[in-house]
Amino acid sequence: MMAFAMVAAKRVTALINGFRLQSFFLFLLMLVLALRANSTELYIIMTLLCVTKVMLIPHLLHRVVKKIKVNEDLGLSANPTVSIFAAIVLVYLAYAFTGKIVTVPGQAEEGAFFVSLSITLIGLFLMIFRMKAMAQIVGLLAMESGMFLAAASVSGGMPFIVEIAIFFDVFLAVIILGIFVYKINSLFTHIDVDKLTELKG
Amino acid sequence: MHKIRVSGVVNAVLHLIISVASLFLASRVLKSGPVSLAGFFYIDALSAFFIITISIVTFAAALYSIGYISKDALEKTITGKKAMSYYGLFNLFAFTMYFVTAVNNLGMLWVAIEMTTLVSAFLVGFYKNKKSIEAAWKYIIICSVGITLALLGTILFYYTASRDGGITSLNWTEMVAAAGKLNPNVLKIAFLFILVGYGTKAGLAPMHTWLPDAHSQAPAPISALLSGVLLKTALYAIIRFTSIANICLGASYSARLFILFGLVSLAVSAGFVIVQKDIKRLLAYSSVEHIGVISFGFGIGGPLGLFGALFHIFNHAVTKSLMFFGAGNVVKKYKTSDMRMIKGVISAMPFTGAALIAGAFALTGSPPFSIFFSEVMILISGFGQGLYIQSALFLLFLAIVFGAVIHHISGSVFGKKPDDMPVSGEPLSGKIALAFLLVFICAMGCKLPALLEGLMSSAIGIIRGA
Repeated sequence: MMAFAMVAAKRVTALINGFRLQSFFLFLLMLVLALRANSTELYIIMTLLCVTKVMLIPHLLHRVVKKIKVNEDLGLSANPTVSIFAAIVLVYLAYAFTGKIVTVPGQAEEGAFFVSLSITLIGLFLMIFRMKAMAQIVGLLAMESGMFLAAASVSGGMPFIVEIAIFFDVFLAVIILGIFVYKINSLFTHIDVDKLTELKG
Repeated sequence: MHKIRVSGVVNAVLHLIISVASLFLASRVLKSGPVSLAGFFYIDALSAFFIITISIVTFAAALYSIGYISKDALEKTITGKKAMSYYGLFNLFAFTMYFVTAVNNLGMLWVAIEMTTLVSAFLVGFYKNKKSIEAAWKYIIICSVGITLALLGTILFYYTASRDGGITSLNWTEMVAAAGKLNPNVLKIAFLFILVGYGTKAGLAPMHTWLPDAHSQAPAPISALLSGVLLKTALYAIIRFTSIANICLGASYSARLFILFGLVSLAVSAGFVIVQKDIKRLLAYSSVEHIGVISFGFGIGGPLGLFGALFHIFNHAVTKSLMFFGAGNVVKKYKTSDMRMIKGVISAMPFTGAALIAGAFALTGSPPFSIFFSEVMILISGFGQGLYIQSALFLLFLAIVFGAVIHHISGSVFGKKPDDMPVSGEPLSGKIALAFLLVFICAMGCKLPALLEGLMSSAIGIIRGA
């Protein structure tokens, strides 16, 4: 999965492109689901997914990166090889966990739930071990994508209005985080989150 | 300048009207059962209780803001335009909190809580200096990750509800009705995610790390709102899920988790309160402590324990707001929040100093103030159920916090004030806000109004799944 490419990515732009590709696959998956169920609601959600996660959000992130002329290095506190290894462990954990929760084994929903959980965990990993503010945003987005897939897989989608609201919320969150990255950059002249250490105790 | 004052007054009047309206709403809920609007909003006794708490604290904060913000503008800390945007954000923030308590759909509840984070992040980063931006960043990132976990919990709740319960909506009312049919194994894991996820927002240790930063960097009225009611809205979400889980799993599962997190919060905050030098961070850690007390109360359970926990939610909201207002006055006057530099508040600002020292005793649970009674209720219930070790630990941590807070606050309030410090500088609106809250703290210690008592009693029924 693309999540692995994101873990291995060393530079911010590569990370964002990884996210875009991941969202695209998510979109394809939703397309299959929508075609199968043939429901208008799924079509609308799918379209929204395509517009926001594949086009708008990566575009916005790229623009912020360009604007603040950030140093491209991601500030890895774990190098790509170790990270990939960690990601494999996380995927195994997700697999073990899924076996406990999903009561009917061997179905498509089990597989999808397992994948979504893996994505969520890897997103969390990205947030912890990457020191740039941008990487934390992408990590958060990846977690959210995982959640989205989980919702779609275990229950055939949450109620329509909730899905829309969550979309709106995530979109807003990204914009606001972008604003804060901008502010951090102009105040500190860097976006290394591990150097934000003034507040302690 | 004049415009800022006027909008401050208008804002306060608006929130006074909302407070009165919420009282009417609550008495209607009490008389004729839950109010529902198109199935989307659903207000029962539990929501009404939270709405009253929010409206009282918000009104006090609006009142206090008048003097606080116009002084900021006068000292050119902020521009006039920024002061106006403050009132815009203030109302947006208040609105999202009301939304959390009124909405029926558990998915929308999640959205509403995320909205409270996003809106209040701007208020935390309001002064746009390095520290406040750092605090806002940590706040938004930690809370967003936390509630993403809560979303996973919500999805799992929905999973078992749609598979085993046979319902296709996330409405709390329908979930409760079908709670008996849910899958206990899934529910156990789901509840854990909910507790950790929303617990991050509620400030339960060890997920509390954003809290002292955000509370200490926000403007004082916003700190009061964050600590007094924002944490409680996250607790509200946890309570809603608890009542579903309790019906299915029995009360003991959630109770053990609540007691565990409660005691950890108490222990962590006791440690940090002792060594604290910053007055606003001191109060922030005391919030972690009180969230621990409330969580412990919910864990102890039983009618008296739950009543104590709910009562404590209200008491902590008003008392902590009082303390943050007082601290806000002090920080403005002394231009520092380091308690080693702050001496002799009582002679520099008599009113604030008196309020601070009374508030410190109230906050740490001395009679005759109201927090004493809610803590005693929880303790009686704890010992009554034979949870001796847990209750003894609870008492020990409370004693540590009592000593530390009184030591720190009295050290600042008394002593000799700096010679060049003029006596005065307490805005009228701030005084009224302090007095307003002080009345609540003292009055609730003597006599509980019938309305609030009724609300809490029927809310207990809701939590126990009756």
